[in-house]
Amino acid sequence: MTLTDLSDAPALRAQLRDFYDDYAFCLDEGRLEEWPDFFTEDCHYRVLSRENHDAGLPLGLIYCMNKNMVRDRVTALRETTMFEPRSLRHFISGVRVMELQGDHIVSQANFAVMESLSDREPSLNMVGRYLDVLRVTPDGLAISRRDCVYDNYRVRTSLIVPI
Amino acid sequence: MTCSDSAVLDTAATAPIHLERRWPKEGYTRIPNWVYTDPAIFQKEMDVFFAGQTWNYVGLECEVPETGSYKRNWIGNRPVIMVRTETGDVNVLENRCAHRGAQICWQNTGRVTDFTCPYHQWNYDLHGNLQGVPFRRGAMGKGGMPRDFDPKQNGIRKLRSVNRGGSIWATFSEEAPSFEDYCGPEVLAEIDHMLPGKPLKLLGYSRQLIPSNWKMYLENLKDPYHATLLHTFYITFGLWRADSKSECTPTGGGAHSVMVSHNEGKKKTEATTEMSRFRDDLELLDLETVTPRAEFNRGRVGGAWVFPAAQFGIQANSLKTRHVIPRSPTEHELVFTYYGYEDDDEEMTRLRLKHANLLGPAGFVSMDDSEMLNQVQIGVTGYPEARGIVEMGGRDTEPADYMVTEVLIRSFYDYYRKAMGL
Amino acid sequence: MDTWKPVARIADISPDTGTLRVMHEGDAVCLYKLPDEICATQDRCPHGNASLAEGYLEDGTIECPLHQGVFDIRTGKPQCPPVTTDLRRYEVRVEADTVYLKAQTP
Repeated sequence: MTLTDLSDAPALRAQLRDFYDDYAFCLDEGRLEEWPDFFTEDCHYRVLSRENHDAGLPLGLIYCMNKNMVRDRVTALRETTMFEPRSLRHFISGVRVMELQGDHIVSQANFAVMESLSDREPSLNMVGRYLDVLRVTPDGLAISRRDCVYDNYRVRTSLIVPI
Repeated sequence: MTCSDSAVLDTAATAPIHLERRWPKEGYTRIPNWVYTDPAIFQKEMDVFFAGQTWNYVGLECEVPETGSYKRNWIGNRPVIMVRTETGDVNVLENRCAHRGAQICWQNTGRVTDFTCPYHQWNYDLHGNLQGVPFRRGAMGKGGMPRDFDPKQNGIRKLRSVNRGGSIWATFSEEAPSFEDYCGPEVLAEIDHMLPGKPLKLLGYSRQLIPSNWKMYLENLKDPYHATLLHTFYITFGLWRADSKSECTPTGGGAHSVMVSHNEGKKKTEATTEMSRFRDDLELLDLETVTPRAEFNRGRVGGAWVFPAAQFGIQANSLKTRHVIPRSPTEHELVFTYYGYEDDDEEMTRLRLKHANLLGPAGFVSMDDSEMLNQVQIGVTGYPEARGIVEMGGRDTEPADYMVTEVLIRSFYDYYRKAMGL
Repeated sequence: MDTWKPVARIADISPDTGTLRVMHEGDAVCLYKLPDEICATQDRCPHGNASLAEGYLEDGTIECPLHQGVFDIRTGKPQCPPVTTDLRRYEVRVEADTVYLKAQTP
């Protein structure tokens, strides 16, 4: 994957959109084993409510403090978690570059995840923003820091697949 | 019945709702499915348990740090607020205007100098006293409130409340026993263990809406039998085992319970061979996720269910309260409040946040629960005249020193039937 | 040299309420007719969106119509909850039958 010149804003945004779409595709297709590949080794991945985020509270529903924890979450989901089969579909929009810091890109995007279960209509499962710091590496973009700040007041039933 | 601290027993209310339901003849070893679906039963529970002679969790002191800070919550389905007053005490008030009943606080937390209802601007101080009624004297010489209108009779009701080690509890009843008598020594010891009077630090909330009757969650936390069978994360990664040293103690006539297990690491034994999903070749890459730093609890996991709707418990280094808010017969909200101590160092705070991965709607040892309760509710809703059976560990309500038992659930329904007149 | 701006005639002050709301240099000001003098304070209650001119004047105090907070008119000081903030006062001069307030701007 060739790197886009960081000063070319439309092209950079296009590349970011592809990266976000690839991430969504990976999760939507259930390719959990490939999900850690999107992260740097010293990454931070957290899913937290807007309530906590706005109040400056650090608690996340999922809080991976390094890539090993990201890998462990996949292991736990595959090997130990019991859950109803579901189909999830990410809708990502509003990809935005907030700031460029050397080889880091501060970006954000909106997400909406629609969930379809076996016995009822599809429904909105989680909605919110990705607040990201991406690193530009020789092999392409990687997530150094991702906070999935969800607007939902409550999570309905459970959050099985990461956002 | 083994426990003498039966202060909770006298909560049977003389409710006007006449219930024609009949409990299965076997008694508390059976749970009729209609307790999870019947709206009249639900309404009586709200009155007897949440508006009756019970003490209800509202929040932690650290959630309302400054004068005028408030937090919104529900006791059963009744909206309340807790607010820090100018004296430093925390009051619990009904979250409804004394005039026409509108909710006064519309957000989960906030800070005010006094309370004003937006509808007609009735104004109250932080203790709920009515201190201002617009146009009380009328306007242009016309209208106004009657001369004998007494603001003292028209304030926001303040509930009887206590602060135990930084946790705030309230009751709607003037006749309820003291908080200490209500809890009894075993439950009080668990609360005091987790809240020893040190200043607390709020770490955050998690909120779930679970599509099941609220009692199913209560039963889930009184059900150590399922823990190692459903949550195979526990035994796969050495956090808990069916043959660990443990205690299950019903108290308060069966309403409360204390459940404790002592973490002894991961081993392959007769108990683990019974569980079809155990994998001793699996290891986490980040072992710290399941390795607590030694703290005051010395590897002891568990806690207390404080009837009706609160649980205090420790999981690794994660300290939290759980609170259940019934929303309808078939839905309840589950709120986790995570905290640490002001004197925690950075590493301890980091561990507390890391171990929170074990719990909540995405928790390694809890996301299966909400999935399961959803399924149980679907099943019982379809067959309201059928019943569940809880005979694991026997048919009695004696405290047990092992985990493979449903004694806490039996004890609960023993209490429930008496309190509800069923 | 101070400048004084005329804002009302004494007769404009309502004999029923003892108050009158006037505008002075962009601010709403309430005039009060007390037994031996005429006073002036800010008209908007510091506690809420209410006009003190619509309040209840008694014994040198004004009670806000919204939440019954009471102020001493002469000193501007709050007398009881829920009000806790002093009222801004304006200097008044009466000449013939006209009420003047001191100008802040020329």
